[in-house]
Parts: sequence; C-alpha cells; structure tokens
Amino acid sequence: MSDILERLSTSILEGDADTAVELVQKSLDEGLAAKTILDDGMITGMNEVGARFRRGDMFVPEVLMSADAMSEGLKLLRPELAKSDVKMLGTVVLGTVKGDLHDIGKNLVGMMCEGAGFQVVNLGFDVPPEAFIEAIKEHQPELVGMSALLTTTMRAMGQTIKAIEEAGLRDKVKIMVGGAPVDQDFSDRIGSDGYGSNAVAASDLAKQLVGD
Amino acid sequence: MRANYQVNSGVQFRMLSEDQLEELFNGVLHVLEYTGLEVHHEEARGILSEAGADVDELRVRIPSHIVKKALALAPRSFTVFARDGNPDHDVHIGPGRAHFGPGPTCPNFIDIETQERRPYLKSDVPLVARTVDALPNIDFCESLGTVSDVHHELGALYEFAGMFPNTSKPIVAWSYDRFDSEGIHQIAVAEAGGQEAFERKPTYVHYCEPLSPLVSTFEAIDKLLFAARHRIPLIFTPCPIAGGTAPVTPAGIVVQAAAESWMGLVLAQAVCPGLPFIMGGVLSVMDMSQMILAYGAPELSLMMAGVTELAHYAGLPLWQTGGCTDSKTLDEQAAIEGSLSVYFSALTGGDLCHDVGYTESAMTGSVFQLAMMDEAIGYARRITRGIDVNEDTLAVDVIGNVGPNGHYLREKHTRRYYKTEFWYPNLCDRRNYEEWAQMGSQRMSDRSIGRVQDLLATHEPSAIKPETEQVIERVLAEAEERVKESA
Repeated sequence: MSDILERLSTSILEGDADTAVELVQKSLDEGLAAKTILDDGMITGMNEVGARFRRGDMFVPEVLMSADAMSEGLKLLRPELAKSDVKMLGTVVLGTVKGDLHDIGKNLVGMMCEGAGFQVVNLGFDVPPEAFIEAIKEHQPELVGMSALLTTTMRAMGQTIKAIEEAGLRDKVKIMVGGAPVDQDFSDRIGSDGYGSNAVAASDLAKQLVGD
Repeated sequence: MRANYQVNSGVQFRMLSEDQLEELFNGVLHVLEYTGLEVHHEEARGILSEAGADVDELRVRIPSHIVKKALALAPRSFTVFARDGNPDHDVHIGPGRAHFGPGPTCPNFIDIETQERRPYLKSDVPLVARTVDALPNIDFCESLGTVSDVHHELGALYEFAGMFPNTSKPIVAWSYDRFDSEGIHQIAVAEAGGQEAFERKPTYVHYCEPLSPLVSTFEAIDKLLFAARHRIPLIFTPCPIAGGTAPVTPAGIVVQAAAESWMGLVLAQAVCPGLPFIMGGVLSVMDMSQMILAYGAPELSLMMAGVTELAHYAGLPLWQTGGCTDSKTLDEQAAIEGSLSVYFSALTGGDLCHDVGYTESAMTGSVFQLAMMDEAIGYARRITRGIDVNEDTLAVDVIGNVGPNGHYLREKHTRRYYKTEFWYPNLCDRRNYEEWAQMGSQRMSDRSIGRVQDLLATHEPSAIKPETEQVIERVLAEAEERVKESA
C-alpha cells in the first residue's frame, strides 16, 4: 500500500475527518484511481475500526468519528467513483418501521454500512411499508434494513416484509432486521434474511448478504 | 466563582455518630487502664514501664494519657512504595483511600491448573504474586497460603522470597519469629540500596498478630520490636472471635480488638516515635453451630466498619477485611459474600483491606476468588467515587444543543467523559445472548479462571536487581543451615 493510502487509512481509524478529506484530495491530485482510494485507503481503515470494535478496543463514540471521517471523504470521492463507473459494494435502503420514532440505532447502521462501502438510502423513521416498496422500486437496492426499538412496533417488520412479498419484490432484495427487542429467533419467524445485534454486526451482515 | 459551596467527593458513608465513637474510644482507654493485657516479653514490659505503664508481673496497664500520646505520634497518612519506583504501584495511605490485597497463611490452595484443593506449595507463591502484580484493583501482596513443602520453620521466609521478585506492589509480610523478620528485611534492604534508603521509601509492611483475649505473645512482641527498630511500617492485628475469644456484641469486640492493637501501638511508638502503624484486626462471629470464624458473615462487615471508624476517629489507618468467603468453591455464595464485604469495606475507606481471595473460612486460598473480587473492587470503586457536579458535568448547554429527538453519541462532551464516567467490566458479561452462547456460554467462574490463566501467560513483573537475587539465595541458605543446626 502506498504511503498516502496508509495515512488515509490511519486518518479514518483515528476519526480525523479533516485529514481524511485532505488526503482523499491529495490522492486524486496524484492521479490515484477512485476505486483504489476507496478500497485500499478508506475501507481498509473502516475494516480495522470494525475489528477493533468487535475486540472491545474501540467504543461507539470513536467508531462514529471514524464513520464521520469516512463519510466526509466519500462526499469528495463519490463524483469520481460515478465518473469511472465504479459500483459500490451495493445499495442499502434503511428505515425504522411504521409507528416507531427511534432514529439513532438505524442511523448508526447506515454510517457503518457506508463505511463498509455501501451506498445508503436512509428513509428515516416511522416508515410505512409502502414507502419501503417505493424505495425498492426507485433505488433497486440489494439490501433492505429495518429497525424497531419497541416490542409494540416489532410486528410492523413482519407486516413490511409481507407487503414487500405481495408487491412481488421479495426475491429482488435481501432483508436484514435489528433493534433492541429483536433477536435471531424473531428474525427467522418473520422471514428476514438476517439479524444484526449492533451497528458493526449489521454492516458485517450486510457484506455477508451481498456475498462480499 | 462559588461561595459557601460544599462538595461531597465520593459516596458518604458513616455508621457511628461522634458520640458513639467517643464512647467506644473511652471504652478502649478504660480496658487498657484498668484491665490491661498480659505482655509475654520481659524487655517489652521494661520499655512500657519506662513509658509510664503500670507493670505488675505479666500484666501491663496503660494510663489513658500514655495511649493518647502514642496516638498523637503515629501518622494518619504515609506511603508504602513500589520496589521498582513505579508510581502506579505505590500505596498512599490516608483519609478516603481504600486499598485491597490478599491475605496470608491458608493451609490449602486451589490449584491453578486443575482447580483442585490441595496443600499450599512453594511453587504457588510466584504465581499468586504475579497475579497480584497484574490485577488492576489489587494494590498490595500477600501469598494466600502457608508454604507446606519446605522446613516447617521457614515457610514465611520462602514465601517472602517468592513474592518479592514477582511483584513490585508493596508486600505485607508476616513471619514466625525474629529470624524470619531479619531475613525478610535483608532482602528488602538489598533492593532499596541500604537501610537509610529503605526508611525513606519502605516497600513492605510487617504484620504481627497478638492473641485474643488480651495477650501480647512473645513472638508478636518480639517481631514488633524488630520492625520498630528498623522503622518498618507495622500492622498489629488481633483476630478476636465474637462469642468465643471476644464479647458477642459488635461494640464489645471492637473495644477489645482496639485495646489489643493499641498495646502494640504504645510499645511501637515508645521504641520508634512516628513509626507508621496500622491498627488491626480481623473481627467476626463464631458460628455457633460450625465453630468456625465466619469470613462471609454480615457481622464481619459491620464489625470491621465499626473498628475502621474508631481507628479513623483516633487518627490511625486500619487493616480492613473483605473479599473473603466461607464457600468451598467459586460459586454464587463466594460472589455474594465476597462482593458485599468488598463494597462495604470500600465505603468505610478502610485503609488496607486484606483477605481478598480467602475461601472456606480462610482454610483455602484461591487466586480465582481474588480475580473475581478484582472485578467487584472495580465495581465498588466506581460507586464510591460518586458523582462530580460542576458546570461542565451538568451539561446544560449540551442538552440544549442536542435538543429533542437528537442523540449524544457524536458530542465532544460524550467523548470527553465516556471513558472516565463509565466503568468497563473485565469479567462481567454484557454481550447479547447469541454472542455469549457463541463464546461458549461461560459462567463468571469460567471467566475468572480464564482471566487468571491469561494474565499468568502474558504478564511479566519488573525484575529485581541481580544483587538482590544473590541476597535471597544467601538468606535462604543461612536459614536452612540454622534449622539444620537446631535439629
């Protein structure tokens, strides 16, 4: 790995957004390919973040700073990636299901997925099944992620999956679920493709579901 | 600026009122003055007589003004130093500072490899000391056992010789007699670089134990004199048993224990004014169906809180007790008894809390109990540290910035405090069920055992000087010669 990409990776790991943006710009100026910058600089850094978090060596506030640095760098890199027709790892449509106003956990999943190299479409909270269906049609995602924090709104996940089936879109997407009251057993019962217990686990699951 | 503003640093705990403490204090003075103790040491009786005590054959009675003078001479605050200069391993004794460590002299030990109970061996000593050195909440070292596989008079010396190279945390050393004490002291002085250097920065505390009720035995007093003459910080700690060798009531046992300890105080201050002196002892109940001293009894915590408050009232640090259990194994009883006594001890601010890692009523030492209690001590310390209230911690501005339906995870304020405000467990499990199951569905006891084995596989204590190693060899060789000759 070149020195500049290694420094970029370190700036992501350290959550230093200013340096990350500066190094992305410098890498582009030096003529490095957008995909190389993404894969060998930024995603390498985020992968290390995930590994450290899983080991208990990094904590959520630090992970978020890294995700922010990743996100700032990506803003600069995205037009270049589009120009060279580089496909991201895939697209994830995310939302907190109908009746549930909890936003944070799902946003963390979004940031981690973005950090892992996904394009993320965040639908926000209190998202009705129809809005998920519209988004699938519009963005053609590989993945749909749903979140609920309340035992009372968990049921809306099953209802949303059913609605996606009825719209004939179930075989177009993989579905993953998460949220405090959700577990693997519930995920299986409502016919989801996977469950992530936290934001890092969710981005790992996303990568696994798209076969990366 | 704030005016007339009072801050509580840490959780406030107080069991006895000023009036009650004054009454206990006067009870102790009364026992020393009117009943007195037997002192089985002629030279010591001479010194006490010189100091103003009334000596009548073995019985020594001490007028209260003499006791008060000795109390005034003994320091409330002092430091016992790490032998390697590591400031993190220094123990600063003073108000509001609770420290923790194992206890001495259990006949049995839980084998670190097999987890079987068996006699304590010489080879266990370095392992206990290394574990103590590695555990973050254990502050001083004792060995958790009496070495059974050396000559029966040399156990204490081999024990110190095994601990000293394997931890730089201060050691509390017991001994059988003055010969042991001399050998132990030679080792510590060699590392310090001479007697004067040792006096400036003492690295161990000498532990002596008189007999209850009201007997200062020859050995306890003889070792006390050795410590006082070499300016070695001293613990003088009786082990009265309520209902057996002391009054059945907590107030009564506190009075008797203090009288027993303060006989040592008066003698030590007469020999070496200003000698750091740590008051004992271990107070608990005699279980009237099992005839044991109960190490897991709630009364132990209560009595220890009483004697701690009395010590602090009189201006002395205290040798506390906690983290011990009557359970035979690393189970729920061990966790309840150990954790509650650790927490209660931390609340009292008792200065050196020992016997962490005792199981089976002090019959068996367990380094696994010690590791589990390291977690309980960390937990207790987070609670006793309390809550800081100031403009920054109030976070009124931060609350305003985040507003309704926002979150705090990205706030600088969060990043500034989350590592220091939150306690992070080493052994308590907070994973979700699936991950916990995936990691082998381990119990607390499994994780405690795993942690000890990991620490022993990875932790290297700092080395002692090569010349100290030679002194250890010489001291042990000389001791072996001595016991050969006497046989």
